[in-house]
Amino acid sequence: MEAEVRLKITHCVRAVTQSRDTEDVFDALRTLSGYLDDRCSDRGEFCRIFYTPLLQALVKGLNSDWFHKMPGSQRTELWGSFFLLGPPDQALLTLLDAITSSDPSAGLEHLVSMLEQFLSTGRTEVLLWSRCEGGAVTDSLQVREVLLGRLVGLPPLTANKLKTDTPLAFLPQQYFSLLANDILSVLEKTCKALRGGQDCSLGFVGQLLGKACAQGHTALVFRTLAPRLSANTLSDALWRRVSVKLLENVPDRWMEAVITGLVQAVNDPDTLSRILGNVVLKNQKAQLVITHKLLLLQYHHKDCVLRTLLGYLAQDDERRPLLCQVLRALCQAWSNSSAVKHTTVEQQVYVSKALLLCLTLMTPQEIEHQQEVLRQCMLNGMQCHLDSSVVRVRRIGMVVGEHISQHMDTPTARLSFQYEHDEETRALLHITQPVETKPDSAHSPEPEMEVKTSSPPPSTESSAVASQPAAQLDSDLDSDDELTPYDMSADEVKQTCAPPRYVRDCLEGLLTSEDPDRVCACLQAAEGLLRRHISTTKEVSVEFTKVLLHMEDKYSTANFLFHRQRAMVALAVTDPIPVSEYLTTEFHSLNYNLRQRLDMLEVIAVAVQELSQPVTNRNESTSLVTVVSPDQPGNDLKHWRQVVEERIKSKTRRFGKGPTQPPPKATPNRYAPVAGYFFFPLLRNYDRPQATFDLLGSDHLVLGQLLSTLGLLMHLAIHAPVATQMGKALLDFVWALRFHSDQSVRRGVLMCVCAVFLAMPSQSLLQELSDDLLDTRAWLADVAETDVDSDCRNLAVQCLILQERSVKKELHPDSQM
Amino acid sequence: MARPPPDPQFILRGVGAAVNTLHFSCDRPGPPLLFSGSAKGAVHIWNLDTRRSENVLDGHGGSSVIWVDTLNRETVLSQGRDMRVCLWRLGEGRGEVSDCVYTGSVGFCQCCVLSRGPGGGGSSLLAYASEQMEEVKVMELPSKVPVSSLKPDKKLGMVMCLKMWQPDSGEGPLLVAGYEDGSLVLWDVSLGRPLSSLSVHPEPVMCLTFDPSRQRGVSGSAENIIRSWALDGQLNLQQQETVELLNPGISQLCVRGDGKILASAGWDHQVRVFGWKKLKPLAVLKCHSDMVLSVAFSDHSDPAKRLMAAGSKDQRISFWSIYNQT
Repeated sequence: MEAEVRLKITHCVRAVTQSRDTEDVFDALRTLSGYLDDRCSDRGEFCRIFYTPLLQALVKGLNSDWFHKMPGSQRTELWGSFFLLGPPDQALLTLLDAITSSDPSAGLEHLVSMLEQFLSTGRTEVLLWSRCEGGAVTDSLQVREVLLGRLVGLPPLTANKLKTDTPLAFLPQQYFSLLANDILSVLEKTCKALRGGQDCSLGFVGQLLGKACAQGHTALVFRTLAPRLSANTLSDALWRRVSVKLLENVPDRWMEAVITGLVQAVNDPDTLSRILGNVVLKNQKAQLVITHKLLLLQYHHKDCVLRTLLGYLAQDDERRPLLCQVLRALCQAWSNSSAVKHTTVEQQVYVSKALLLCLTLMTPQEIEHQQEVLRQCMLNGMQCHLDSSVVRVRRIGMVVGEHISQHMDTPTARLSFQYEHDEETRALLHITQPVETKPDSAHSPEPEMEVKTSSPPPSTESSAVASQPAAQLDSDLDSDDELTPYDMSADEVKQTCAPPRYVRDCLEGLLTSEDPDRVCACLQAAEGLLRRHISTTKEVSVEFTKVLLHMEDKYSTANFLFHRQRAMVALAVTDPIPVSEYLTTEFHSLNYNLRQRLDMLEVIAVAVQELSQPVTNRNESTSLVTVVSPDQPGNDLKHWRQVVEERIKSKTRRFGKGPTQPPPKATPNRYAPVAGYFFFPLLRNYDRPQATFDLLGSDHLVLGQLLSTLGLLMHLAIHAPVATQMGKALLDFVWALRFHSDQSVRRGVLMCVCAVFLAMPSQSLLQELSDDLLDTRAWLADVAETDVDSDCRNLAVQCLILQERSVKKELHPDSQM
Repeated sequence: MARPPPDPQFILRGVGAAVNTLHFSCDRPGPPLLFSGSAKGAVHIWNLDTRRSENVLDGHGGSSVIWVDTLNRETVLSQGRDMRVCLWRLGEGRGEVSDCVYTGSVGFCQCCVLSRGPGGGGSSLLAYASEQMEEVKVMELPSKVPVSSLKPDKKLGMVMCLKMWQPDSGEGPLLVAGYEDGSLVLWDVSLGRPLSSLSVHPEPVMCLTFDPSRQRGVSGSAENIIRSWALDGQLNLQQQETVELLNPGISQLCVRGDGKILASAGWDHQVRVFGWKKLKPLAVLKCHSDMVLSVAFSDHSDPAKRLMAAGSKDQRISFWSIYNQT
């Protein structure tokens, strides 16, 4: 460039900055605008050196006299056009800088409207294209970073300044779909250029995409991007190459965000395969994300994401080795006993789904090669799943185990479990049927679609039902309606054996009879007999309990477990002390199976609940209790109250007197005096492992149940004098079990702690806890945050609240009032 | 709240053995009668006005009487386990066996008699299970001329029960028989060939009855389900409604003459009443303390007087008045 031209430009720019004469400034601007013309030979130089200073001068000029004197028609020409015609990167940077640094004023408004115009006239597209075109612009690393930052950060930058006045175009919704459209048109231009034999570079666009996704705008960007990419790549091989190139150009640090977004936005493996190509093979990061992170770590994705991902891996021969690798990883994760114990059930479901899907996608030959892996997976995985105390985990184990065994080369020995299907197992099995679901998975609102298609059958059914009455009307003469039925409630299944009438007969029948009908009759009659004949029951209570406890369902009697439990509960309620002593001693003794021990705990739990309920009048034992109660010092009280009430009644006239309900009668709690008999023996001997029963070892199922029963006993003992001692003993007991690896045990521990906090008087609670108060709190907070079981977390939060409350109550007794 | 089930009107005792079969004869002039056959071989004739036994016919040598019917005013038929069907003359206070048919059947299949009316010259047809257990023979009475022999081609086992009737179309009489394997076969008696068959029960058919006016029948077995079936225009047997009972075992089924209700005699000591059109359960009648073996509706011409009788193994006969209001 000639020196004089440069001098002239410098002069003009200075005129814009410094001149006070309006005409001078206008002239200078007119001259300068000539250099922005495409035809001008000096444009390149001008843009490189003088453009940014000029824009800065223009921004400064917003407050000057000449700007205010400038007629509105000329403002676009002499001021605005500079921002829209020059290099868009410099314009954008200057505009954003100016907006962020200026205070609310008329000038700011001009800048904002300028920026709006900048966006709406497609300058961002020009900007992107300028970075793509065959090696057109090469920025320094810093400039590129800044430019990317501004481009992606435009919505927050402007919103921070403009607050509620932010124009719609700057909101992420609009802005990112604009950006995505720009990316698309740049890709389009790239395709054209490539066809014309011109080189292009997608580095900048890839980085922009990566940055936008990494900043959390994945869904917005891909909402626009994915459908168009999917449509274009369907017909055009060049588009496919361009799209793959674009994704290859995303820097590693942003790859995860892009891939995750893409996989979620795309709904079938074909599309993903077209858009993503073999990026997964070339890019280590992409491979890690697809084969590891999305399958094993992030478990919140929907089923269709799994289908897309694994289907994508299965589609190309080059990618199939990755599928085998994924299978190995999944098998390892599924059969890891530590993972089964320490990850959430949701994650396990997700991994199981992935595993099942993986198996269905593999060919028999491939599975043939993986037999050893599958066998190991079965051996370890089945054991730890079936060992789990969580029903859902066991059920997952059964479903997956059945499925894997179908794929193993042992056609004779296939696993088959008996389990009831629920939502989860159905979902697991559903994922193994790819043929049915594949056509559906092309649509994103798949579940709704299914619901809709499944709803018509009921409606046709209902219409059939609706038409039926009409048909019935015709044959109305043909119905039996004119004959009103008699009461048929007395009709019952006939017992071939008369029920026993004496407790001892019943006992004898249960003990010696070989006749199924008699045993059934005895068992059904037992509860009623035991509750009716209290004195006889007390004589034989322990023996009767022993017989019931050892009874087996030899004749598959209907409702065997229910009747047996009711009878045992009746015994424990009628004669609490001996029966509880018997049950609690037997609980820790030799030669019982787990079922029997669980039965004992259940009986104790139900009996204690019944004991702690107030006695209703219908109950026979009322007489027993009320006989004890009259010597309460309340006779005087009742007397004057009655007198007063009678006086009031005599002088009051009531309109529409309803039936006055007697106040609930107070009766002594039947549980409080015997709570200790139930509670303390259960705590004894827990740490003495026996040949058949190791409570602290492998029998954690019983331990969990024992803890919940103890928690219940504690909870029901509220207000009982013995509650303090019980609480102390229970806290001592559970303290050692806080970090048990089985979640049912941990749940039981937390239940116990909860019950103690609820039932123990706060004063003695604090005394007891004083040393461990902080420890307890830290432990509870930790559980509430990190435990894998959601019940445990909730219970821990509950415990924390209760503890907080009792501490507050003790320290500030007044604040409670 | 539904009405409580009714109590029996009255109970007849004194049979001294299980009451196997009952038959009313009330439409003739004179006192209404009930015939009952007992397990000790006696046929009691009960006067329902006096509620006393008028006469006892003892002609089967102590073998159990399993079926009693009346042919006309003075002729009674009784079938015993001594393999004989006896014809009794009753007029003028007599009570003697006038004739005897040897059936040769050792089974429990009850006979069926069909009066041919004035067109048949006062004769009637008797269908009975023969010596060969699966065969049904039909003979004309009183001439004892064999009419036909109905023997299925397939092996269906013993004949368990049968019912013969004269269709309105005026063709030859039809007979439906229930067999040991639980199937029913419809026979054309005059041609002696089967028209259709239907397998209804998984166990032997214990009892069946047919209502010619509705072309519909019902059968029971040792299971706890009563199944009804019907004849379509081509005389094919077709399954219809079923009704499930709480306790298994049905000894006898009977449809009342007006086609309104169906009664079942159950092994669970109870008589159950159903609407005949849709088998809607209507009542469960408790009275007996042992299996109910037989149930019958009276043929009173006045609907209000109609009775239902149930005979039981506990040696009593109970009488019920149920759904008599018109």
